[in-house]
This record gives sequence, structure tokens and C-alpha cells, in this order.
Amino acid sequence: MAEPAIRPLVQVRGLSKVFGDNPLVAMERIGQGHSKDQILEQTGQTVGLNTIDLDIQAGEIFVIMGLSGSGKSTLIRHFNRLIEPTQGQITVDGTDVMTLSEKQLEQFRRHKMSMVFQHFGLLPHRTVIENVGYGLMVQGIEKSERRKKAGAWLDAVGLDGYEERYPAQLSGGQQQRVGLARALCTDADILLMDEAFSALDPLIRSEMQDQLIALQDRLHKTIIFITHDLDEALRLGDHIAILKDGLISQVGRPVDILLRPADAYVEAFVRDVNRARVLTADVVMQPPSCRLTNENLEEALRQMRGEEKDYGYLFKEDNFRGIVSRRAIEAEISKSGLKVDLIQLLEKPMSVHPGASLEKILPTTLGHPYPIPVVTDDGDFQGVVSQKDVISALTETRG
Amino acid sequence: MAAARPDTPYEMEMVMAVENWLTTFPEMERADLIAIRKALDAGYRAFSRSYGDLIESLFDPLLYFLVWFEKLLLSTPWWLVILIVVGLVYGASRSPKLLVGVAVSLLLIGYFGMWENTMRTLSIITVCTILSITLGIPIGIMMARSDRTQAVVTPVLDIMQTMPAFVYLIPVVMLLGIGKVPGVIAVVIYAIPPVIRLTNLGIRLVDKEVLEASMAFGATRRQRLWGVQMPLAMPTIMAGINQTIMMALAMVVIASMIGVKGLGQPVLKSITNQYFTMGLFNGLAIVTLAIIFDRVSQAYARRTQRHLQGNAHG
Amino acid sequence: MKIPTVLLSVVISGFLISPAVADCGKVTIADMNWNSASLIANVDRFILQHGYGCDAELVPGDTMPTGTSMVEKGEPDIAPELWSNSLKAAIDKGVAEKRLRVAGKSLTDGGEEGFWVPQYMVDKDPSLATIAGIKAKAKLFKHPEDDNKSGFYTCPAGWNCQISAGNLFKALKLKDDGFELVDPGSGAGLAGAIAKAFTREEAWFGYYWAPTAVLGKHKMVKVDFGSGADREEYMTCTTSAECENPKVTMYPPSLVETVTTESFARRATEAFGYLQKRGFKNAQMNELLAWVEENQADGNIAMEYFLKNHEATWQPWVSTEVAARVKKALAGL
Repeated sequence: MAEPAIRPLVQVRGLSKVFGDNPLVAMERIGQGHSKDQILEQTGQTVGLNTIDLDIQAGEIFVIMGLSGSGKSTLIRHFNRLIEPTQGQITVDGTDVMTLSEKQLEQFRRHKMSMVFQHFGLLPHRTVIENVGYGLMVQGIEKSERRKKAGAWLDAVGLDGYEERYPAQLSGGQQQRVGLARALCTDADILLMDEAFSALDPLIRSEMQDQLIALQDRLHKTIIFITHDLDEALRLGDHIAILKDGLISQVGRPVDILLRPADAYVEAFVRDVNRARVLTADVVMQPPSCRLTNENLEEALRQMRGEEKDYGYLFKEDNFRGIVSRRAIEAEISKSGLKVDLIQLLEKPMSVHPGASLEKILPTTLGHPYPIPVVTDDGDFQGVVSQKDVISALTETRG
Repeated sequence: MAAARPDTPYEMEMVMAVENWLTTFPEMERADLIAIRKALDAGYRAFSRSYGDLIESLFDPLLYFLVWFEKLLLSTPWWLVILIVVGLVYGASRSPKLLVGVAVSLLLIGYFGMWENTMRTLSIITVCTILSITLGIPIGIMMARSDRTQAVVTPVLDIMQTMPAFVYLIPVVMLLGIGKVPGVIAVVIYAIPPVIRLTNLGIRLVDKEVLEASMAFGATRRQRLWGVQMPLAMPTIMAGINQTIMMALAMVVIASMIGVKGLGQPVLKSITNQYFTMGLFNGLAIVTLAIIFDRVSQAYARRTQRHLQGNAHG
Repeated sequence: MKIPTVLLSVVISGFLISPAVADCGKVTIADMNWNSASLIANVDRFILQHGYGCDAELVPGDTMPTGTSMVEKGEPDIAPELWSNSLKAAIDKGVAEKRLRVAGKSLTDGGEEGFWVPQYMVDKDPSLATIAGIKAKAKLFKHPEDDNKSGFYTCPAGWNCQISAGNLFKALKLKDDGFELVDPGSGAGLAGAIAKAFTREEAWFGYYWAPTAVLGKHKMVKVDFGSGADREEYMTCTTSAECENPKVTMYPPSLVETVTTESFARRATEAFGYLQKRGFKNAQMNELLAWVEENQADGNIAMEYFLKNHEATWQPWVSTEVAARVKKALAGL
């Protein structure tokens, strides 16, 4: 997971928003480093956002997390300028959003960014299919094409057959699928999701998260996702920004947030997170401690004795082949007669997926005496996870 | 007895003759008051003299339409009018019960000899309603779009609703004479506030997120207004239209004081002469019209807004 | 020392006028909603209160309700300007049954009714002062809602004059000349229609009556039917809704009377005596109404103006002592 060096798709620089009749006074105080509460007391102006800087890469899910009043909903509305900033700049794919005229802004919203809302924001007087095709209708695309495309996206979110229903006839989860299909239907590169799953039952929410991840694997959109739910942020986010009182507390990968909280606020936040569910094998895995490349039994045994390891990991031309125990080699060597090949002593490789949660791999690691290999679907060996690794990840407080 | 009561009214007056601003309100000099009244009256008269003809001619198309529409209703055979009304009722409400009720009410009105006046009132109310809607909805939209407009228009609406109709009847008559046009103007002044207020309110109450959604998809102001705000405000606007019609009907009697023919006239006549039954019958005919308008517009609103309720789930 | 003097004078004067007070007591006076009647009602109130020591009070009234109420309920006590033609039967019956008493004429010339056209029209075309001229120039008088017809502004619906105006309209065969009855709906509507015509010097033809503020302000000419007034025809047919074949007649002057309840006439003989004498000439009333119009005065102010400036008119109506008391009270206004 190396940071890509290319220019971020969305760049936010020095973005501030003050609510009130005299924002400039408040801006001055922001410049002097006063806090939100101080400014409210001194000037009566409410600071919504305080000098926000963010870089969002193309194709990632960027989660902005904060409690109510943190300014996260204000922030997301700046990307498509549903709210005008008091100061600052947002650049999307080289375009300064703040300089767009009303007409340009309409075009920008139609083609560049679409949005999913907490309470769905569906048009109650239009059918489901009309809602999905709403973005296209706004663009002036004719009805038959609209219906075709909207129908396809409705299929994609699993709502075929609901075309002629009205939103009020659907459940919350179904309505949000319509909202998602509507946002995808315009083929915009960037998807803004404002607490998109917060109004749903926990079970439905997790289903929707799965569906979003599955869709994202296919579509590779750039998704800016707002939530107040840290579990959701950790689950979905490639990067997470934590917002407090209009200020960014920390930006980083989920594991950074979890294991290396930047301040007491974030730490308090992550304290209650169920790490077993959030941390994955790739986060805690280590390089294999005993990498065997030679199939010679004596050679392997010597290497294992040298590294004081009970188990060795055999690779052949960089491909992981399996695990062999020192005891098996010693037994083989002490046997008289023809020695078998090292390959034949390999135990049946037991492996886990790098994305698997600790919760899931814990039984496997406990059930085997050796560190479990972490292998991708393509068979790529990534590292090993030991019982010790898992337990220490679950219990350590600071990274 | 008299000796025990020396404080007869005129003696009291002598004792109380002492000027005292504590007990009597310090009033403006009568001469000044008269001067103000005269100046305002003369001003209005001068205005009426200079622009009266022009303003009157502006209303000519309305007058022609009013006269034409009334003649149309009066010259159409009664059974055809009933058929058309009943057809409209059914079209709007899809309710056979309402249809029968309306037909019976109209037959009773005709049987009691109030057909012509009912047609006249129906004609003027219809025109007043159409006028109130075509003027009121755009004003309501403008109010919803700008807080400043709302701040200006709201007190004007308050005045229109609370100012006794007689107060503005006189200037209207001075400007336009008596008859249908001033009658329509008086009725519209009184009846238009609900449709304006509720259009404004309806638009302002539109779910902010739905509106944001439409903005986020790049909808223009017009697309937002006609695609989102108006349809979602429609139940509220319909309630406003309904109220407007009811208030217009309530004004029928007042309008007849400046020569508008219809059910108001016999009511007025019975007020002057204490003809109890005549007043009651014509009053009931007005009520019948009101109920027809009310039930039909409500049934129409319910039928067209059904999907907003989300009843049939699943 | 001042206070005892005042008290003494209060006691003495109270004692002096006590017989009148005892007789008169509480008196209600109908204040009709047109200026001449309101003026007379206010004059009556002031003189009865200050001259005769009555506890006089104005109550709102109108011809029909007041007349009916006086007959049926015995109140108000005084109708100072009752156009009794319209209530003739009821008043006659009330008098016969000793419920009402007619004190005298409040407008000594009687009230005038008729069909009128504006003076400015007659100035341009003198023939318009006659019905023949009107019929010949019917096209001048445009109907407010139909350019092809002519309009005759009749008496508002529900008023008694609606019947007489309608019958005369029929008798004069105005319909044959393209005239249609325009119902102004109310007195305000009729006055408004006249005011509108006058501000713009438009043609106008309709029913009105005098003396009134409207006619004081807007100079109008009574149209001559050329028939003279046939009181018999007028009483039996013109004013009757059942009149099948109305004939042309000018309006005979209306009897405008001061009517009181029998009980008032009995208990306040002196005050009743004043009401018997109190009467206005139309010329005086026109002058007063002109002043009222000019100054937009209400009945109370008009009363003050009249009592202060037209002493010669009202002094003969009362005794010297009463006049003195009234003047003293006037000085305090």
C-alpha cells in the first residue's frame, strides 16, 4: 500500500467556512489561532470549517469522520458547492471549483460529481426508475435512453422489478439503493456520500457496505464518504480524515488511525473499536522468519537450526510451496535408507487472506503451532501471522 | 330623588370640563385631522381623475371575460350545467358518492328557484379563484425565494386579510365604478392571501435534502422549481387554494354591496328586510357551493398526492 | 372657597331642573347612518340633555329596523328623521294603537326623491333635464357591464325605494330605449357610483334622494317626467310590489317626520314640545350638509357647528331658559 506519487484528484487547501453575518471578523480570529468556542463567544459567528487541507486520490474511498457538529456535512457540501466557502480552494482534476460560474457549476455537478444523501433525498412524486434517471433527465437526455440506463443501474443495486414503485413504498435500505443507483447513473467519477448508511438498521447498513465495496471493486470510483461511525470508516476507508470542531485531527490509513492515533481525541475515539473486526491479516503479518530455498534436507535443517526455528517456509522460484517442521526433517534424516525429498515432507499449507479480519484468522492461528502464511487469491505470498502477532495487535494501546 | 343625585350628566360635564391630559387622551387638533383627511381624499380623487380611465380600460378584458362566462353559464341548459359539473366532480374525485351528493344539491338549488343566482355566483367565484391562483402562486414563489420579499409581502397580506372589506370597497368603486370588476377585485384582495401564504410555506417546507439532491445533480433553478419544489409543495398549495375558494365564497355577500349579482344579493336583501327564510335559503346555497368546491378540491388533492403517503408498502 | 361654590351650584341647578329630569329620564335617540339624520339626532341629544336634563343616548338605527323596533319593542324613544312613506302602514298602526306619536316634520319641505342626472350634463345639453331628452340620448348612459346597453342606477336591492324606482322604470318604458336596471347593491355602492361619475365627469342617470350629503356635494338635476306628482297613484301603485300597470308620476315629497314612542311623549311633555317645533327647511339642511361634506364632520361636530352658528334657527324651538342652558353647555364645548 505505497502512497501513489501522482497528483491527487481532489485537493482542498485552506478551506474555511463561517456561519454568521460577519464572517470576516471570525476569519481574522481563525488566523490568530482562536478556537471555535472562543470565536463564537467573542463574535457570535460559528466556525463550521477551520482551514482544511486534504488530498484525495483517484479511485480511493476517502472517509471523513466526525461527530455531529464537527463540520463533516458542511465539508462534503463544499465539494460540489452546495455551500459556498468563506475562504479557501477546492481543486478537482485541475479545475478550481470555486471559480465556476453558475452554468459551469451545473455542468460540473452533472458530469463530475454525484451525491448520495443520508435521508436518501429521493423525489417522492417520481417512480423509482424516474428517480434513478433524474440526473440524466436534468441533463436533458431523452426518456428511452434514460430508462435503459436507469434500469441497468437498478439491476446493479439489486432492485429490478421495483421500477414503477414510488419511494415511499420501499424500505429504507431499498430507498438508499435507489439513491446509490441514481448517483451512479450519471457516470460521474466522484461520488459524495453524506452519511449514506447512517439512517439504516445495523444489519442493512452492513449489507450496504458490502454492496458498496463490491461495486467499488468493479467501478473504481473516487468516493468521498462521510460518517460518524468509526467502524464504518475503518471498514470502507482507504484513507480516513478525522474532523473535530471544524479542524482536521488526523488523516491516515485505517491502521494508522487505529494503532497510531494523532491525539487524545482520536485515541478516545478508537479505544472502543473492536480491533478484532477491523484489523486485517496484512496489517499484523510479518515476513516469514525462515525462508527455505534449498530443497536439500541437511541444508534446510542447518538453516532452521541456525535461525532457531521449528518451522521453515519453502519457496521455489519465489513461489511459496509449503511449510516444513524441523522435527519432520530430523526424523527423516535419522531414518536409515533412502531419504525422501523435502517437498514430500511439506505440511498441507494452511493460509489466510490478507484482507481477513483478526477475528476470522484468530482460530486458525490458535489451531496451528506455526505462523500462518498470508496468501492472496492469486497465490501471492505476503507474509505470516503468528498467534503472538494477533494477540499483541489486539492488546497494544499505542503503535 | 333628583335632589339626591345632583350629578346629572350635564352637571358632571361641567365639573369635568377641566382640561386634563391625564384623563383624556391628548388628541390631534381636529382641524389638522380634517386637513389630513381632505388632503388624502383630494389626492385619491385626483389620482382617480387622471388614471381612472386608463386603469378601467386595463380591466376591460377581465370584464368581457366575466360577462361572457356568466352569460355562458346562464344560457347553458340547466341539465347540461349539472352534467358538466358532475363530470368535473367525478373526474377530480373518482367518488360516486360525492357525485350523487353534488347532483342532488344542484337540483335542490334549482328547485328552490336559486339557479340563476347560483350560476352568477359560480361564475364569479370561478373567475376569482383562477385569478387568485394565477396571481397568488407566482407571488408565493417569489416570497419563498427571497426572505426580503417575504418580509415585505407578509404585512401586506396581513392588512389584506384583516382590513374590513368596506374600507377598500369605496376606493375601488371610486376608481372602477360598481359591478363585476370591482367586485372581483374586492374578492381577490380578500381571498388571495391563503394561496400566497401557503405557496410560500409549501415551498419553504420542501425537504431540504431533496432540494439539495436536485442541486447536486446540476438542476437549474427552473428545474428545481418545477421538478421538485412545486410538486412537493402541491399538497400545501392545494390547501391554500381550497381556503382561497372558501374565503371568496364568504365575500360574495360583501361583493353584492357594490352591485355584484348572485346569491349575495338576496342575502343582503334579507338582511335589510329581515326576510329570515330568504336569507337562510340563499345562505345555504352559498354553503352548498362551498362544500362542492371544498370536497372536490380535497378529493382531487388526495387522489393526486396518494403516492406521497407511502401506504401500500412492499 | 371655590369648591363649595361649585358644589352649591351643582346642588341648586340640580334641584332647579329636577322636574324635567324626573319626567324625561333615559332617552334613546336613533342615529340613522346618513348625515342629515345624524345631525338632527345629535342636535336632539344635546338639547334634550342640556336643555331638558334628559339622560339622552344615541343608538344606531336605520329606517326599517328602527321603525319596526319602535312599534314592536317601544325603543328607541325617538326617531328624529323617519322617512315614513316607506313605513306608513306600520306607523299608522302604531299611532292608532297608542304606541307611537308623530311629533312633527323634521324636514318641513319633506324629502325629495327622483331620477337625477349631473348638473354638468344638463349644462351641456338642457334637454337632459327631461325624461324625453334622456330617452332620446340613452346611448350616453353606458351600462357598466355592457357597452351596447344603457344603465339606470336604481335603488339598492332590498330598499323600499327599489319597488318605486322599478315601477317608474317600467312606467317610463326606459327598457325600450335600451336602459337596464343597474343594482348598486348598497347605499355605499350607489354613492360610490355617483362619486366616480363626478370625479371624471361621466354620464350618470339614476335614483337618488335629497337632502343628502351626496347631493349636497354633487350638484344634480332632478329629471322632470312631465307628469306632475300623482300622490294617489304613487301611494297605491308606484310603491307597491304588486302594482301591475304602473303609471308615470313624479315622486311626491316624502313625509319626513319626527316619531317618538307614546311613553316618551307622555313622560316628557316639555321635550316632546321641542320635538314638535324642531324642523329643518331643505335649503338649510343642504347648506348644513354642504358644510358637513366640506369638513368631513361627524354628527357630533356638525351639531356643534349648527348650534353655534345658527342660533336664530334653533332658538324659536325652545324656551328662553332652555336656550340659556343649551348655550351655557355649548360654551363648555
